[in-house]
Amino acid sequence: MTASFPLPTTEAPRPLLEARGLVRRFGGLTAVGGVDLSISQGELVSVIGPNGAGKTTAFNLISGLDRPDEGSIRFDDIDITGRSPEAVHAAGLSRTFQHGRVFANLSVADNVLVGAHRRLKAVKPAWPIIGPVAELALALIRPPSVKAEEAALREEVREILAIFGERLLPRIDQPAYSLSYANRRRVEIARALASRPKLLLLDEPTAGMNQTETAEMLEIIADLKARGQTILLIEHKLDMVMRLSDRVIVLDDGKKIAEGAPLVVRNDPAVIEAYLGHGGVGAAADPAAPAGPASDQPVRLSA
Amino acid sequence: MTSWFDHTINGLIIGNIYGLLAVGLALIFGVSRLINFAHGSVYVVGAYVGWVAVSVLQTPFPVTLVLVVALTAALGIVIERFGIRPLADAPRIAPLLATIGLSFVLDQTVQILFSPDPRSVPMQVPNWRIEIGGGSIGLLDLLIGGIGITAAASLFAFLKLTKWGWAVRATALDRDAARAMGVDVDKVNRIVFAIASALGGVGGVLVGMYYNVITPTMGFEATLKGIVAEVVGGVGNVPGAIVGSLLLGLVESYGVALLGTSYRNLFAFVLLIAILVLRPNGLFASHRQLPPEPMTGTFVAPSKPVRLPVPLVAAAAALAIALPFLTENGYLIQTLTNAWLYALLGLSLTLVAGTSGQVSLGHAALLAIGGYTSALLAFNLNWPVWLTLLIGGFAAAGIGTLLVSPAFRLRGHYVSIATLGIGEIVALVILNWESVTRGPIGVAGIPPLSLFGYDLYDTNAIYWFAFALMAALALLQVRLLGSHLGRTLRAVRDDDVAARSFGIGLKRYKGLAFAFGGFFAGISGAFTAHMYSFINHETFNTQISVLALTIAILGGMGNVGGAILGSVALIGLPEIFRVAAEYRILLYGIALLLLVRFRPQGLLGTV
Amino acid sequence: MTNTTDNPILELDAIDTFYGPVQAHFGLSLHVGKGEIVSLLGGNASGKSTTMKIILGLVKPAAGDVRVDGVSTLKLKTPEIVRLGVGTVPEARRLFGAMSVRENLLMGAFIRNDKDGIAADLERVLTLFPRVGQRLNQQAGTLSGGEQQMVAMARALMGRPRVVIMDEPTMGLSPLWVERVLELIRDINGQGVAIFMVEQNASLALQIAHRGYVLQTGRIVLEGKAADLLVDTRIRDAYLGGAEAA
Repeated sequence: MTASFPLPTTEAPRPLLEARGLVRRFGGLTAVGGVDLSISQGELVSVIGPNGAGKTTAFNLISGLDRPDEGSIRFDDIDITGRSPEAVHAAGLSRTFQHGRVFANLSVADNVLVGAHRRLKAVKPAWPIIGPVAELALALIRPPSVKAEEAALREEVREILAIFGERLLPRIDQPAYSLSYANRRRVEIARALASRPKLLLLDEPTAGMNQTETAEMLEIIADLKARGQTILLIEHKLDMVMRLSDRVIVLDDGKKIAEGAPLVVRNDPAVIEAYLGHGGVGAAADPAAPAGPASDQPVRLSA
Repeated sequence: MTSWFDHTINGLIIGNIYGLLAVGLALIFGVSRLINFAHGSVYVVGAYVGWVAVSVLQTPFPVTLVLVVALTAALGIVIERFGIRPLADAPRIAPLLATIGLSFVLDQTVQILFSPDPRSVPMQVPNWRIEIGGGSIGLLDLLIGGIGITAAASLFAFLKLTKWGWAVRATALDRDAARAMGVDVDKVNRIVFAIASALGGVGGVLVGMYYNVITPTMGFEATLKGIVAEVVGGVGNVPGAIVGSLLLGLVESYGVALLGTSYRNLFAFVLLIAILVLRPNGLFASHRQLPPEPMTGTFVAPSKPVRLPVPLVAAAAALAIALPFLTENGYLIQTLTNAWLYALLGLSLTLVAGTSGQVSLGHAALLAIGGYTSALLAFNLNWPVWLTLLIGGFAAAGIGTLLVSPAFRLRGHYVSIATLGIGEIVALVILNWESVTRGPIGVAGIPPLSLFGYDLYDTNAIYWFAFALMAALALLQVRLLGSHLGRTLRAVRDDDVAARSFGIGLKRYKGLAFAFGGFFAGISGAFTAHMYSFINHETFNTQISVLALTIAILGGMGNVGGAILGSVALIGLPEIFRVAAEYRILLYGIALLLLVRFRPQGLLGTV
Repeated sequence: MTNTTDNPILELDAIDTFYGPVQAHFGLSLHVGKGEIVSLLGGNASGKSTTMKIILGLVKPAAGDVRVDGVSTLKLKTPEIVRLGVGTVPEARRLFGAMSVRENLLMGAFIRNDKDGIAADLERVLTLFPRVGQRLNQQAGTLSGGEQQMVAMARALMGRPRVVIMDEPTMGLSPLWVERVLELIRDINGQGVAIFMVEQNASLALQIAHRGYVLQTGRIVLEGKAADLLVDTRIRDAYLGGAEAA
């Protein structure tokens, strides 16, 4: 095994994920109101929008945690609409969660190993009863091939954790509940990488991180992208979005209000109007652009 | 022959009494997200307060009613204050376990005070009956109906029209938001427990008068019926609980009319499982929702498990093996044999409830399946006992897993209710399937344990056999926990959503945990059957399920060494100190209560 | 830090908060003067929501003090803190969905016992939020997001608060509703009620605020007058507003 853990090789771009007309309502609220979303092999697409715009709900619909009321989702040429999270994962999609869902009582290493669960040979047979019984037998008898597989995976876990420098490696045997918020996010990413996903969904990977940590995460994601990893990213830190994304999708109030190259989206009047409110620091990420109507007095809003 | 009209009236009256229980359960669930297993015990207390009032104090009916309401409401407040509130920040399953402990304590206290014998409550209402068509309605029927309707109307008015009624509803809908409005949620809980307990107490008096008999042990069944009614109506849904209760009463009444009294409870539990599987949000849930989060949360307190040094474990094992040579005390050896058998059950449950997070309350059913399978094969077919033991283990693993499999999609409290219901169904099937199980008579003259063709009658030989089995299976479980399955099961327990997102199918792994654990429990049940040479449908009752859970918690959930230690402590110590049986149950209740409150990680820590 | 107001209505003083082994606040200090609008800016997981919980007493800090009009609230329970004059508009509204709008509003007045006063305030609040008045008997959960936000603000006012704490009041709202909500916040403030609002969107929050604080991983990293913060390059380069708004 090489020092870098293997990732899918880069091929000619082809549509990997294609979601059409996704709708999800909760009571009187429409969290997602007819969103189309697609991503090609090797692309990094960011979804931005204020809290409550429906980003995470859309992620949940795609990853199978929630079923859309309307619309369809295709992934890697199969229909995954309303399929279970297990099925969606088996199709090649791994995700992280906005609020960090690590396995609290498992060590860092075990958390990441769970990410590689589907790759285990013992797990493969899917026949009812015979499959689980065979898996149990392999787990109890542990023939050399199983031991070798486990050892190789543990080595791979160390390699994956090494991309976060010294953040996680020294804590590899600590339970996840003892980790800081930022480290839990890193464990989640490591866990997702251990599954070697065709598509990686990152839900705000830098939430709860300071500037240095955010910069570090930016480098890590850029590196993953450079290795050909397809990534769908929810992120609030626009600076990061601008630097990483091939394409940006803007959600607001459950609808897609803009989509395109980062620069185009940033200058889209609809985005500025809707997402950025009334100027303010609207142009902040690009100091060269003309400043918005920031005044000394609070702006009087008219109805 | 009684008419259908009579069955209908009977069903509605029983439904009405279930309703008094279920409404309270629904209210409590609403504000506390808690299924109160002590509810039936409050109903027992209500019944006995009524008995004392009528038989000893000779109070008229209205005074009896007032006394019952006042005392059971006060009991509810005490339960809330000392049993539930200290666990406000604990995992959601913790207060549920505490209420199980409380129910043991209350039931046993009543039993110690009033003896286990049934008592009859003198009827305080003239036995007038009105003939209608082919049937009749008695004054008591009308009274019970009237009290039910009055209670429901008053409750509705309270919830809809008063400030604290709004506070109760607001707290049920969003506890934190209610607090932010300045609602004292502790007071809301207190009010709700008082109302619910008073309703339950009234139910107890009425049922005492209706059946003219009360026993200290009737509380558990009442809790179960209330829970079934509540689940049918949608957990936490007060009007739903009323409809669910009436429905349950009617189903039972018609079912008994068709098939006989011993089938009564079977209908209730089959209805429970059907609803849990098909409509887990109740009959009246309108639209699809994400699973309610408060139902999640397993009973695994983060802790550093105590690592037992290998020499210490080896020394303890050597001592256990050498013990028969060191003592002439056969009673001690028998007690420890029992402890090893309970340790097998504890190992089973610590895997299922601790490692994989499915807090099973029906584990005794696995003992029963193993016990009956082995006993019947050996008795009827004369198969060698070592083989029937094994088959008993596999039968418990297979049948148990199959029976529980509909519950694999459930979480948190729902798993506990479902396993409880499945356990009751197994017991009822054993009771009613007379051609095979001999029904209530049980199986007597079960062939003794034998190994390599030699029958084991010797206390010491049985002791060694039990210890060897337990030790071997414990080592097997340690090996399982060290494999990828160990982490996979713990991942399912810690966060099933994240686990599913990494391709871990819940059915497969919960099934594996139940099957592995079921094998242990089945062996334990089979061993017990051959050791005692007699079993019937009551040999493996729900108290054993709860005891097993207490053993697992005492040792530390998921902890193999802990399960063995917990079993020695809970089975061995009371025997050695010769604690009388009724105090022993009391002790188990208190142990469970104290553990949940003060040492949720158990003696050796959770894994 | 210098205290510019004589007697702040709300004051957090050197707060440390822990969730288990993880620290959420590191010596957090801030204050809200009487009649002021103060914004607390920060990204997700910066510690904003914990700050709200600390103020309401839902979470108790490991160190430091919280004062409402000079009274320490550390030993008080939430209802007592609410009685000191703290109103809340929780994150994502958190209306009592299965209760009517009227019942929701009356829940806002839960701490009060003056029937006539409550009735009068209901009238007054409905003048401020006429749209709410049309839906008094509707179930709150069936309202649209913007309407729910109105009800949440009206509900907070029913307790006659001296300071209202708002957690992301514009979250999930369409641009039109965002404007309306911001305007209403100013109207409420115009009646002498101080506002402490947690926001993620710096540009929106600073438009109506007098002062602002920037919270990052549990620490205040920047504070000042809203007007200064609006043009501060550190906000631009940093974590939220600038980065967020671009």
